[in-house]
Amino acid sequence: MTESVLQVKELKLGISNGKHKIPIVNGVSFNLNKGETLGIVGESGCGKSLTSLALMGLLPPGIEWQDGDIKITEQSMKGVSHRVWRSVRGQKVAMIFQEPMSSLNPVFTIGNQIVEMIQSHNKMPKEEAKQHAIHMLKTLGIPRAEAVFNEYPHQLSGGMRQRVMIAMALSCNPDILIADEPTTALDVTIQAQILELMKDLQQKMDMSIILITHDLGVVAEMCDRVIVMYAGEIVEQSTVVELFDNPKHPYTKGLLASLPKIEERKEYLSSIKGVVPTAGNMPGGCRFAPRCTARHEKCDVKPVLRNYNDQSMVQCWLYSDN
Amino acid sequence: MVTSIKERETLLKVEHLSKHFIVKKGFGKENVQTIKAVDDVSFEVKKGETFGIVGESGCGKSTTGRTILRLLEPTSGNVIFDGENIAALNTKEMRSKRRDMQIVFQDPFASLNPRMKVYNIIEEPLINFGIKDSTERMKRVYEVAEHVGLSKAQLDRLPHEFSGGQRQRIGIARALVSRPKLIIADEPVSALDVSIQSQVLNLMRSLQKEMDLTYIFISHDLNVVNHFCDRIGVMYLGKMVEIADKDELFKNPMHPYAKALFSALPKSHPLQKKERIVLQGDVPSPANPPSGCMFHTRCFECIDKCKTDIPVLKAINNQHRVSCHLYAE
Repeated sequence: MTESVLQVKELKLGISNGKHKIPIVNGVSFNLNKGETLGIVGESGCGKSLTSLALMGLLPPGIEWQDGDIKITEQSMKGVSHRVWRSVRGQKVAMIFQEPMSSLNPVFTIGNQIVEMIQSHNKMPKEEAKQHAIHMLKTLGIPRAEAVFNEYPHQLSGGMRQRVMIAMALSCNPDILIADEPTTALDVTIQAQILELMKDLQQKMDMSIILITHDLGVVAEMCDRVIVMYAGEIVEQSTVVELFDNPKHPYTKGLLASLPKIEERKEYLSSIKGVVPTAGNMPGGCRFAPRCTARHEKCDVKPVLRNYNDQSMVQCWLYSDN
Repeated sequence: MVTSIKERETLLKVEHLSKHFIVKKGFGKENVQTIKAVDDVSFEVKKGETFGIVGESGCGKSTTGRTILRLLEPTSGNVIFDGENIAALNTKEMRSKRRDMQIVFQDPFASLNPRMKVYNIIEEPLINFGIKDSTERMKRVYEVAEHVGLSKAQLDRLPHEFSGGQRQRIGIARALVSRPKLIIADEPVSALDVSIQSQVLNLMRSLQKEMDLTYIFISHDLNVVNHFCDRIGVMYLGKMVEIADKDELFKNPMHPYAKALFSALPKSHPLQKKERIVLQGDVPSPANPPSGCMFHTRCFECIDKCKTDIPVLKAINNQHRVSCHLYAE
């Protein structure tokens, strides 16, 4: 039996304007096993980044935790104090962000920032922390690690900054790494380097990764299981091979079909009509129904996420009689 | 019967185009540095075709696009558009020439004036090009709006009321309203989600057919370029390193950089096996470029000659040109 390191149950996050609660993430449940890579895909505004921020206890001001629970290695995180979150962050869960330039502090040296991170979680003399930081930089394949330790973020290239971010995130040996679009800002050749590196480190450190991305190529490259989100809900959850071979939800199908592929030659790409509805203007039944090509009467009632087979779950009426 | 692209006439010919930026170091100091953002780039674009320019950030692909339109003044070289060297035109002549060549920008949030109504945004080029009759302008705006799928009611709104994909439609409408022959599209879909991206690409393709447009399509996304373009030029550090028909280029990339670039593409299926060439290191700074071939510092097939001699773009066959010492006789 695989060990579960993270459980999310019926998580609802949203804003409220006095009387009405408007959920942006609407009842999301999933499980993360030890050593696995879980991909979360979806378009902008589908709630994937918000979900990941909730896992770090870093919800932006104005967003409230409306319902549900997050369990990180069996510990319930609902309503816990800042102090508890601080002990979890870095030690158990660490995160890397999309834009490495804006997540590093421009006025401190790289070394300074990593040592600060290490010392705030472990009681360690400064010299030892420095050695550990340099060791981490070397692990990430940064050439001249000793020199980079004393440099500022602006002196490094995008790929190097992302390596520094990963070094920082991994310096306290977390169980879970949340990577929010880690390679979106990078060029393809650098992206290939970083993805290789992440796979390699995952094996060495026996870590679980949640990879948030809109790039299905990166998913194919990295993930074991995938969650597809649409308008704040999980519409499909399955193993990666099943998702690519046999997508079920019309949204997933549309998403896969609208990608241009190297092997294919066609005049026009298929596309999903319309746009994602905004929070507060969500359709009552299935949230994808207004854009769906397979819409029928039942779709006015909200479907639930149910098992399709042992590899996948889907939230769609088309698969309800299984 | 549609004539094949090879038989068509050349619309744009870029000859030895260079754009160098001069950076002064320090106040009042003589110490100046030249950054060769685009260096000796030559290519041609045929009427009705889509020419793609790919490369990583900082390789000069956007600068090339802007220099062709003379939004940036070229340092040297010729741009021959429709038989006329536009690099030699004065500002006034150039202004009216831009009626025939337009640009669509990457960021639909930054490239539309937030305080102008969509109608006025699309109308503005027509005023600039001296169409005084307002009913004529209105006719043209409505016509182009219909082409890109904007309703009349939507024209009365402000840009912030639109989503990214719709804003990009507005940007395209603005470029099309002067009935240009050439459109330079600088990363037109990079800021959009995949499902919207395909809508915009489909729109651009159907407009090309209806209006017989020629595109220069600048992008870093190889999948999109492969889908959309007829011929592709690969740039690295301000140089054009390879130009070929897209099928030829994807099947048989010749320049070591192009090989690495295509092999770095993420898999399209999780079970796909991929031989990958992972390049070491980063792109060198254009302020301090390597000697000889720009790519030799990262090249896995580097020979002695690469460190000293600058290679030139040579034709291998009639569809394929490459700038690399490995293919020189």
